[in-house]
Amino acid sequence: MTVLEGQPQPIQRMPQTESWRRAWRSGDWWRHLGLLGFLFFMFLPFIITIIISFKDIPQFDHYPFTVTFPLHPDNYLEAWRIVSRYILNSIITSGTSVVGMVILAAIAAWAFARYPFPGRELFFFGVLALLMVPGELTLIPAFLLVKDLGLLNTRWVLIAPYIAGGQVFAIFILRQFFEALPGEMFEAARIDGANELQVFRHIGIPLSQSILGVVAIMHVLSTWNDVIWPLVTLRSNELMTLTIGLYAFRTAWYTIWGPLMAGYVIASIPLIILFAFTSRLFVEGLSSGAIKM
Amino acid sequence: MTTEEIRAPASSATVARSSAPQERQATLGQRIYRYRFVYLMLVPTFALLLTFNYYPAFMGLYRAFFKWDIGLQPEFLGLGNFEKLFIRDDIFIKSLRHVSLLTSWRVISAVTFPFIVAELIFNLRSNVHKYTYRVLTILPAVVPGIVILLLWQFIYDGTHGLLNAFLEGVGLEDWQQPWLGSPKTALYAVTFMGFPWVGGVTVLIYLAGLQGISDEVIDSSLVDGCSGLRRIFAIDIPLILGQFKLIIVLAVIGGLQGWVAVFVMTAGGPGTASMVPGLWMYNNAFLWNKMGYASAIGMFLFVLIMGLTILNVKFVKTGDY
Repeated sequence: MTVLEGQPQPIQRMPQTESWRRAWRSGDWWRHLGLLGFLFFMFLPFIITIIISFKDIPQFDHYPFTVTFPLHPDNYLEAWRIVSRYILNSIITSGTSVVGMVILAAIAAWAFARYPFPGRELFFFGVLALLMVPGELTLIPAFLLVKDLGLLNTRWVLIAPYIAGGQVFAIFILRQFFEALPGEMFEAARIDGANELQVFRHIGIPLSQSILGVVAIMHVLSTWNDVIWPLVTLRSNELMTLTIGLYAFRTAWYTIWGPLMAGYVIASIPLIILFAFTSRLFVEGLSSGAIKM
Repeated sequence: MTTEEIRAPASSATVARSSAPQERQATLGQRIYRYRFVYLMLVPTFALLLTFNYYPAFMGLYRAFFKWDIGLQPEFLGLGNFEKLFIRDDIFIKSLRHVSLLTSWRVISAVTFPFIVAELIFNLRSNVHKYTYRVLTILPAVVPGIVILLLWQFIYDGTHGLLNAFLEGVGLEDWQQPWLGSPKTALYAVTFMGFPWVGGVTVLIYLAGLQGISDEVIDSSLVDGCSGLRRIFAIDIPLILGQFKLIIVLAVIGGLQGWVAVFVMTAGGPGTASMVPGLWMYNNAFLWNKMGYASAIGMFLFVLIMGLTILNVKFVKTGDY
């Protein structure tokens, strides 16, 4: 190992293939080897899923893990007929709740950040304290509450609690961001005759687009992946979200691996599309679970 | 909390300048009246929080002291539920052992494998490569959790599973098992799923820490002839202890809350061979309608998790990360 290996290098602009070749010669090769080894095992389940998703039953019985011809893309059609409804439900649920959550959280965070109203810190603490409350404590009473409210087996049984719960962390993050915005800008707008609402709408929000995006993606991720709450509150197949729909699909189609795996692939696509378009926000959103307080 | 210093917002500054003397004399009622629209802004937020968060939280704490079966009048038990939980409920005690194993492995795997990957990426020379590997490691985190769980269920499958096929391929037919279906292996199968245990987010956190180490430190260590493994142990690890602490706390909390994975993979079975406390709570509540007893388990988990969260806030500062 050479002495200089650990040094950070300035960004070098060169053609991709050339950079890889140079890296290979520079003595980084064993790092690449290690990383590729890890990546191989990380991606292996997904690769095998894709391979199996193109098989019919005899093909799977004889050669379960290698590519077999002819491919059966019709598995995807079959899976799509079942999974599409769950995807749509998840999009409706996560989509509605993220819009509602971001609007309410932005308004509340703005109030906390920019107005010294009496009781401000007390109210803010009232929001923050909820960060300490895990879902395990509230699951049962919340279930009985929505049952009494007659919300069971409706879309609102997911959307309303998601909006409520999602606000907590969002308000915490947004308040910090809003407080750090330069006050001069708002003053200038006010001198030009803007009222409070216009300042918020036309200056505050546009300046905060990226943090709002992070908060929104975090919320989409957590609601999209939620299992237990939809499981206990939804009964009818028409309303099931992706997580519990796939779970039911697995139970019903057990051993019909081709379409089942095709369903898993289809189920992963929406978030991958979201990731493709917003990768930076996405990465921040994923890791901000870690910044919790 | 990180917001100790509340900056005077611009809006109040404008108001204050025009009416500074009155501001000081304004009574609480007047000040509340002046900001009435702000309270209005908070109404929807708090209406939802009170209904769906505060009420259930207090109800959960309160009903933990009751015998509370659906359809029957709640009956006050005092500490009865907790007495039963810790003294007479063998399955709960067993589930505590299981969750300790699950959580221990989570912590061990979270401080080793992702750190190795982060070091490998960090020490690459080309920034293009660093970026490529970062994106590739984070990519699996985008796949919905349920898909990953169901895939691992397939990997462990007794007749069609990948693991058994692999064992056959390398001549270890004797080792083949219905991994999730056998009481001997179910808990271990659930514990060790996720090979090679490299969480993309965890890698990113370590990487952020490594990138925060100043170039001077690394340079001078190189001048002193400290490189390779020695540098990792003498410089990198001590300097990113904050990240390690954060990840350990997150892994412990994740282990306690990770019962959903057990639910999907084995439902705690076979029998109760892989039961964990969260799932035991779920079963008591939603299979047997013992809401009060389940609330007691919920309260136990709450106290545990809150303790850890406080530790997290106290010892792991946001600035570390």
